[in-house]
Parts: sequence; structure tokens; C-alpha cells
Amino acid sequence: MTLFLDVVSTAAILFIVAAGLLAIFGVLKIINFAHGAWLTIGAYCAVVVSGFGLNPWLAIPFAFLIGAILGGVAERFIVRPLYRRPLDAILATWGLGIVIGQLITLWFGRDVQFTPALLPGTFDLFGAGYSAYRLFAIVAAIALGLGFTLLLDGTRLGLSARAVIMNETLARGLGIDTEKVRLTTFMIGTGLAALAGVLLAPLTSVDPNMGVAWLTGAFMLVMVAGSSFGALAVACLIFGAAQVLVSIYFSPILGGITVAVLCAITLRIRPKGFARA
Amino acid sequence: MRDRQKLRLVLLVALALTALLLIVFGPMFLGRFSLNVLTRSMIYAMLAITVDLLWGYTGVLTFGQAAFFGVGAYATAMVLTHIGASPALFVVALVASVLVPLMLGLAVGWLSFYHGSTPLYATVISLVVPIVVTQLVFSGGTWTGSSGGLVGYETLPLGLPGYFRLSGACLLALAVLAIVFVRSDAGRLLVAIRDNEARVAYLGMNPARLKIVLTGVLAGVCGLAGFLFANASGVVAPENAGFVFGTELVVWTALGGRGTIVGPLFGAIGIDYLSASLSGDLPFLWQLIVGALFVAMIILLPGGLASLVTRFLKSANSSSTLKSLPTRIVKDGALASKSLLSIRGLGKSYGSFAVLKGIDLEIGAGELVSLVGPNGAGKTTLMRCLSDGTQQIEGQVDIIGTNIAGRAPERIVALGVGRKFQVASIFDSMTIGECLKMARFSRERPNPMRSLGEIMLPAAAAEILTLTGMADMLAKPVSRLSHGQRQALELAMVVALEPRIILLDEPTAGLTKTERMTIGTILKKLTDEMGFAAILVEHDLDFVRDISSRIVVLHQGKLVLDGTVNDVVNSETVRTIYAGGVHG
Amino acid sequence: MQMKTMILTLATSAFATAAFAEAPIKIGVPVGLSGANSVVAPSVVQAAELAVEEINAKGGVLGRPLQLEIADDASGAAGAQKAFDSLVFHKEVNVVISMETSAARNAGLPIISKGDVAYIYTSFYEGKSCNANLFVDAWVPEQQVPPVVDNFIIKQGAKKFFLIGSDYAFGRGMLSFAKGYIKKAGAQIVGEEYLPMDGSDWTAIISKVRSSGADAIITSTAGGAPNVTLTKQLRSSGVTLPYGNLAVDEGTAKSMGADAKDIFLSASYVTGIDSPENKAFLSAMGKKFGKDLRTPNDLSVPQYEAIYLYKAAVEKAGSTDTAGVLKALPDVSFTGPRGKISMNKQHHAPLTMYLGQVKGDGSVAVVDSFKDVDPGNQCPNL
Repeated sequence: MTLFLDVVSTAAILFIVAAGLLAIFGVLKIINFAHGAWLTIGAYCAVVVSGFGLNPWLAIPFAFLIGAILGGVAERFIVRPLYRRPLDAILATWGLGIVIGQLITLWFGRDVQFTPALLPGTFDLFGAGYSAYRLFAIVAAIALGLGFTLLLDGTRLGLSARAVIMNETLARGLGIDTEKVRLTTFMIGTGLAALAGVLLAPLTSVDPNMGVAWLTGAFMLVMVAGSSFGALAVACLIFGAAQVLVSIYFSPILGGITVAVLCAITLRIRPKGFARA
Repeated sequence: MRDRQKLRLVLLVALALTALLLIVFGPMFLGRFSLNVLTRSMIYAMLAITVDLLWGYTGVLTFGQAAFFGVGAYATAMVLTHIGASPALFVVALVASVLVPLMLGLAVGWLSFYHGSTPLYATVISLVVPIVVTQLVFSGGTWTGSSGGLVGYETLPLGLPGYFRLSGACLLALAVLAIVFVRSDAGRLLVAIRDNEARVAYLGMNPARLKIVLTGVLAGVCGLAGFLFANASGVVAPENAGFVFGTELVVWTALGGRGTIVGPLFGAIGIDYLSASLSGDLPFLWQLIVGALFVAMIILLPGGLASLVTRFLKSANSSSTLKSLPTRIVKDGALASKSLLSIRGLGKSYGSFAVLKGIDLEIGAGELVSLVGPNGAGKTTLMRCLSDGTQQIEGQVDIIGTNIAGRAPERIVALGVGRKFQVASIFDSMTIGECLKMARFSRERPNPMRSLGEIMLPAAAAEILTLTGMADMLAKPVSRLSHGQRQALELAMVVALEPRIILLDEPTAGLTKTERMTIGTILKKLTDEMGFAAILVEHDLDFVRDISSRIVVLHQGKLVLDGTVNDVVNSETVRTIYAGGVHG
Repeated sequence: MQMKTMILTLATSAFATAAFAEAPIKIGVPVGLSGANSVVAPSVVQAAELAVEEINAKGGVLGRPLQLEIADDASGAAGAQKAFDSLVFHKEVNVVISMETSAARNAGLPIISKGDVAYIYTSFYEGKSCNANLFVDAWVPEQQVPPVVDNFIIKQGAKKFFLIGSDYAFGRGMLSFAKGYIKKAGAQIVGEEYLPMDGSDWTAIISKVRSSGADAIITSTAGGAPNVTLTKQLRSSGVTLPYGNLAVDEGTAKSMGADAKDIFLSASYVTGIDSPENKAFLSAMGKKFGKDLRTPNDLSVPQYEAIYLYKAAVEKAGSTDTAGVLKALPDVSFTGPRGKISMNKQHHAPLTMYLGQVKGDGSVAVVDSFKDVDPGNQCPNL
């Protein structure tokens, strides 16, 4: 039972972390290598909120807002000139990540900080106690997934985004303001990344480089998932399960690379990954 | 032009001599700190050069060089820690530190590059490799020292000045070799892959294999740098193999100027040395400046700092002369009677949509077959199925008696097929002469040291150049050619392959009347006099009528008519198709 | 915020040195301002600053002022190499005195030997690090492990121990000593797991603890961040077994908040030591740093004392010459917050040890104390 919950909650955390990256890659075909930096921004938002003695849950909307605003600025000045140079976009966003990391260091110091637990203690489920916060992560991931499905299927923005994904030239021909769709998508993506940072903070420690450790895993999952949230959920579950099993039965260290290695192999065999699987 | 080229050469030689003097006499006036840091920086510069060869020249963005470096360093440290340190064991360590990364590099290359792989995928793999290596180091327990790294093993007894000179000598040697290589014919092939990988394949070379070999060899170089590092520093740590270090290498390369060798070299030394000197006093600010500079550079000046310098020194590559090879006429009896191309029951579908259905066609030597039909009839798809055996098809295609199923384009070229694309597919950053050289490399191994002045071309290819006036301007960059000249150049490149069958997709689209006439004359000559077979996709029916020996009509994926020019021109079916369809 | 205090202290120390005619004696302090150690590093820097200020206020050493050169070693081997290079060869410090991870110490030692400077290591560690230039004024496992294990077995009846550590010299060294000691005491080891030094996801290991049937946990992570994440995750998954932490100091325990409650620790320094030296030290720290004060702890106090020990050695040798200082170091002593310290036992120091338990407010209640515990044979060849 604990094993099952470990798998599902690990998958949920992976999903939350990767969602923002996927939103951007799916529509913009750009890999935001500053994704890790936005996770860090979110985590520091949690530090600030708890520093002011406010309710730690307030950090969630606060981080989303800050993340989205900064994302808007980054899209306008850094990402926009590089849509035609996707490899350079990886590099430029990585550079941006360095800059953000250093700014955070200058502001908050380079030492590790901690945020209070959002949900302390355990919750009794099927007779066994399990970390309440990890259970909450599962709920959060499901809410996020459903939210996205609604956004894509039920709103005008979602419709435009899907049009851009399928055929950008045609979308522009149909009078869709692709520039605006891109800007909005990037802002949502970075906002989500910051939000994920808030949710990660209580699980680990907060330091200026914390995001980098999460970046590659998320990046690999997104490569496999293509542009579909459903595929991302499936990928998170399968590779998350593999990670938990390897961690428990072999070594937690090898568990750390399970996701990356399996994703790379999956892509070699099926270059399209789980998209349309 | 000549003067600039000379100036460039003199500058490079002067630079190398200065470097040599610095390496030899540096230890006499440099402080211990500078010696120590510069030794490390120079080792890192070797890595930056390998990044430049892969990324700047070949277009493969890689974060993985740090992993090969780390593996080399760990191989050395593990031999010296766990087995011991004797002269023989230092040799063992050296060999291991080159061979292990080399094998790993070949494996990574095999994983990254295959027919149809995307550049992004290679980058993805290059990200995974350092992560895997680092985690393996972590999980190695006392074997690798885990998080603490390995320390306290015996190193080569060279002292600071000795290591400085050794690293300097290695760096200088690598830089000189790299510069000589990238300026040679074989080196230009890297740029060809970056510019247009598909064309390289359709010139009969296997770009995936070239990239795998390159990755392997450069991984070996990284391993050698790792050997130097493990000895010079006396410590190896997991960070040395990590993904973050891999990105640093790319940052140095980008700032120095990708695609220049010298730029990344100075980028690495300059930034690493400055970091070491400044990071004590302004640790965050310095990183911040480097990061911001990097972002600005990528967006505004993708060529890096070096592009500011080279802009003034840019010269066209050495001018070359043409040399015609004796024409080989393949009208010998054995082949002439046989069919060169035989298609039986060919069908091709994308999903549920069938583009081609049940095509049967035989083409023999000396035939010039025109493929006509309205847009969407499946003409280009048919061409693709004939030149790329990895396409999933029904039925069978034989070229000179060999089934092409499963053969990648370069292996079909080897059978004697040349393909000219609809939009001229040439190498955009090269000169006419260089493009032509590339076309000959599947027949003559390119020289890895020099750029040869003579271009050996079959007479037919040379004639195309003469007729279109390009024979006298081989040093002209192709980016300055007219549309028609580009088409003719590609045709000359394809002919230079000495194929038996030429596939041409709308070679005359957008050309002037005269240009069209020229191309027509050339094609007729190739087939009538030299025994080539040619398949031509064409909309211009007048042109088709003038030159074809046979016409095949495709309509909605089916072959509806196959006959002589007169048969087709007078056919009712063709008129209906064209009247109802799109004009030509 | 922290930057500001650092710049401020740099400025004041520069000002203070202006009063001396002689060139300053430079003390290199490579320390983990970033990475795993960053939780404790600021307290170490503060302690060093106080020692230097006090000494300079009283006329310095041989008429020369002391000057700190602080460098970030990023808590790891690669960072330490850069930091030591910079301090020894660039800043040309006279001595290196620092609290660091074992990974950083090991990486720094070859550079110490090459540059031939004295090195006083002020962090507790796994023991048996021997080098002619290295002295240690903090505890080793022989001094620290027995109080915790004895308490668990005798007082709490523990029979099955689960060991968790960071995968590097300190983590492995501490636990391998603990393993031997536990087995000798007749108890059982039901699990032993490691995560890399900067690892932060302990989920899999905690699941193993829960299913192992252990009745006590002993941990030895890298000081700082991994310690905090492990404790938080243990607590959030409801593990309430007796928990002995070999790598926790009072400062780190405070930053864990309520999660640290009931942790057992064994240390050579706790703030509650009742001696005039400790009280004077605490009040001086409080006065100097005010609300920016980081809790003095078992890692920062040895740093403070080591600077005084170095002062004594230089004065005994009559110069900062490395050979003379190394010869004098085993013979000098200093009475500081932890009592009288002398590194007279094979470059290591006998220490008074305290067994403590963390209270709800993060402070440590002393359960037991052991006077002048011998470090054992650390370096018989020195």
C-alpha cells in the first residue's frame, strides 16, 4: 500500500514539476531551460510569504502571479527573438536561469532556507498513516491536469493554442494573434513552474540552485510526452513507478537517473514518445 | 582576397608562436596561483575546442563533453588509487582515460545519431550522459569515492611548471590540429553536415556514421584532458563530470565564438581564469555578468566575440581549379539491355490516406522518362520512395537488380542513384567549389590535412558548370547565386556522383527560358550520349515534349498512362486530367 | 542581508588593521557558504570574526593584526579545490583554519601540502585524517558515538538499529564506526542506506525504515541541508523512533523547528555549558551580531578556539613560519567556551562530551556529560 502511494505521489510531484514546461513546449516548441529558475523563484516566494508571517497557502497564488509576470518579461525580450532558433533558445533560457539564480543569491544569500510545512503530519488512509502532504500532492496534480483539460477544451485561449499547435501558419491565416497566444502560454507555463516551486519547497530545502536538479527530469518527461497532458500523466506514472521501484530495490541513487535513462531509450525506439500512443 | 588570406595565415602562425613562447617561458614569470589556474584553464580549453567542433562546426549542441572528461579523469584516478602508481601504470591510466571515453562516446553517438534523428534528440542524450555518469560515480561507494571524489593518489611528478607546459603543449597541439582539420576538405564536411544533412546523405555519405565517429574521437580527446586534469589537480570530484560543467563549456564556446576554434579557446581560458581571480571578491556579480553576457550574445551576436574579429579577416576559401575526369560512358552491352530501375506494385500510404497505388514501371539505360500529373498526384512521393529505402512501402523497388528496401539514402546513392530536389539542396555557407568537392567525397576519401586546389569532376558535371558560367567563379559563395545557378549547381553535384539513374524533381521551376534550354540540352546529352537513365518530374509540358523519350502520367496515386511523347500528348485522358486539375 | 553584514565586517576589519604598522597575518577560511554546509557556515564565519576582533583589539599577534580571507568551497571537493587554490596561492594566507565537509578537506589537503601552510580543521569528522600540516580541534567518532548508542541500548532498550547517511567520507566513516560499536554492544543492524551529499529525496529510504522493524535510527548526513530534509521527511511520514543524529549541531537543530524535537545528539559544545568562558563568549557574540546572530554551535565554537590556538602557537614559535608553528601547535592550549583545549594527542584533542536531547523550542537539554574523552589512536605515525 505504501509502495502504491509512493508511486502515485512521486508521479504526482513529477507531473506538477513538468506541467509548466510542457505547456510551453507544447505550444511554442521551445524548451524553457530557465524552468528550474522559475521553480526556484516559486520556492523563494514561499520563503518570503512565510517570512512575513502570512498564511503559507497564500504563497500559491502569489508565486503564480510573480512567475507569470516575470515570464511575460522574459518572453518579450529573450524568447521572442529566438522562436526560429530552438537550440539557441535552449541556451539563452539556460543563461537566463544563471542570471536569475545569481539575482536570487544576491537578494537572499546563498545559504539553504526552509519553509514551514503546508500540511504537517500524517493522514490515515486504508489503515496506514501516510504523509498528508504527499497525499495533497496527488490531489493537486489531478486538479492541475483537469484544470488544463478544461482550459484547452473549454476556452477561446485553449482553442487558439490548439490551433497553433496543429498548424501555426494556418492559425495565423485564420486571424489568430499567435504572438498573443505565445505570450499568454509562456506566462502560464512560467506561472505554473513557480507554483510547482511553492509545492516543492516543503518537501526539500530551498536554495538558489534547487531548480536545476528538477530540470532534467522534467525536461525528459516533456520530450516523451510531446504536447499532450494525458501523455505526460502516463509518462509520469510509468517512469515515476520505475523510479520508486529502482530506488527501493536497487539504490536510491540509481533511482535518480531512472527517469532520464528510460526516457532517452523510449525516445530512441519511438521518436514521437508517448504522443498518440 | 589573397592578401587577406595571407594576413589571416600570418596572424594564426604568429598566434601559435606567441603561445609556444608563453608555454615555454610562462613558468618563469607567472606566480604559482596563475600557473595553477592557467593549467586548469588550458585543460578546459581543450574541452571547449571539442564542443566547438561538435556544435560550432557540425551543428550538434552538446552538454555531454563534461561526462567524457569526467570519465577520463576518473579512469586515471581509479587506476592510480586502486592499482597503484608505477610508470607502467601511468601508461595504463593514460590508455584507459582515452579508450574508455572513446567507447562511451561511440555508444552515445550510436544512441544519438541515426537516419531520421533530430538535433534536439542528440542534445537530449548529451544531457542524460553527464547525469548518468555523475550518478554512477555517486553510487560507486569507495570505488569512486562517491560525493567526496578521489583524492590522495600519486600523480606524475612534474611540478607546477611541468604541468603548465604539458597542458599548454597539449592544448596548442589540439588547437593546431583542429584548425588544420577544419580548413581541410574533410573538415569542410562537418560544415556540410551542419548546413544540410540530407544533402550529405544524398551525396552518398552517411552523416550519422560521421557524427558517431566524430563524437567518439572527441570523447577520447576529452578523456585525454581528463587524464591531464586528474594528474595536475590531484583531485577528481563528481562535479567534474556533471551537467552543469557541461553547460559551462557551452557558455565559454558561445562567448568566445562558435565555429572558430580560437574563439572558444580564448573564451575558456579567459573566463575560467577571470572567474578564479574575481570570484573571491565578487562571487555573485561575476557569475551574473557572465550569465547576462551569454544571453545577450546568443540573441544579438550568435557568432560570439570572435565574430567581431573575424568579420574583418573573412576570406573566401582558397580558389580552386576544375579538372575534368575522362568521361565514362556506360553504354556497354551488359547494362544497356537490362532495366536499371524496376518498380513492382509500389504503394505508399500516410495513415489511412493512400498516396501511391500499385505502380509498375521499368526504366532502362539511356531513357529520359518524364513524370507528369497534377499537384498531389504523388510524383514527389514516388521520387522519395525510389531514393530512400527506409520509407515504409508496399511492393518492391529494384535498382540495377538490388532491392532497396531498408536502405538509407546514402546506400541507394551507392547503387548509382542521384537525386535532385525540388528546391535546390546545396550547402548554403560554402562556395561553389566546396559544394562540388563534397559531391566527390563518396568516391574519393577527403584529405584530412589539406584543402586541395584541384576539383576532379566528370566531364558532364564540368560541362554543366561551363554552360551556366559557373566554371570561372568557383570561389563564389553559393549564397550569392541566382535561383537558376543554384539549380544548375545542384544538378552538377548530382552528376558528379557519376550515377546511373538521376531523379530530378522540377529542375526547371522558376528558371528563365535560356536556363531551361541549357538544362534540357544537358539532360539530353546525359541520357542519349552517356547512357544515364533520368526520371524527371515536370509541369512544363512543352519542355517535357522537347526532351523526353517517354512520358508517364500519374493521377491520384495511380499510373494512368505510360507511352511515347506522341502517345501522351494526343491522349484524351491527359487532357481531361489537366483540364479538371491544376494547370502546369 | 547576510551580504551586508559581511561587507560591513570586512570594512571594519580593514579599518581596524589600519592602526597596525606591520603587515597583517592572513587566516584563510574556506567554508561552505553555498551547498550542504550553508546552514552552519554563517555561524562559523561569525565565530571567526569575533575571535579576530578580540585578538586585534588586544594588540594582535606579535604586533601584527589578524585578517580573515573567507572563500566559498561550495561544500564539495571541486569547490574546495578552487577555494584552497585561491587562498593558498593567490591570497597567500599564512594559515588555513576552517570548518568544512570531509570531501572539501580531502580535496584541500594536497594544496595545503604543496603550499606548505598549517591547517587547523575545526569540524567534527570521521577521524584518521593524517597530514603533517593538519591539526584538528573537534571530535572524532571514538569520542562522539558511544554516548548516543549506549543511551539507546541501555536506557531505551533498543535492539535493532537503522543507519542512514550521506555518501561521502564523513557519512560512511561515522556509520562504519557506529556499526562496529553497536555490534560489539550486542545489538543488531537492520539497515544501512546512503544518499549523495546533495540528495534531498529520502522517500525510498524512509519506506525501508518503516518496513525494517527498526527500533532506533542513527543518522550521519552532511551537516546542514541534507540533515534538515531528512528530519523533515522522517517526521512528516510519522516516524517517531528514537532518533540519534551524529551530524546535527544546535544551530541546525534550531532551523528544523518543531521537527527536531526529541532528537538525540552528542556534542563537545552546547550553549548551556555553565562556565565563565562560555558566558563571556555568548555575550560577546550577542553584542557583536545582535539580531543577525546565528546560534553558536559545535562547529562554530571550535573555529573560534582554533584561532586562539593558532595565536598561541605563533607566539610560542616567535614567527608565522609554518615549520615553527607546526612544531608549537601540539604544545599550546587555550581555555575557551568548551574548556581547556589542546591538540596534544596525535594532532587531535581530548574533549568533554555532552549527550543532549533537543527540546520543543530547538534548544538542547543536556542529558549526560563525559569529561575529557580521549580521541584514541587517530594518527599513530605523527
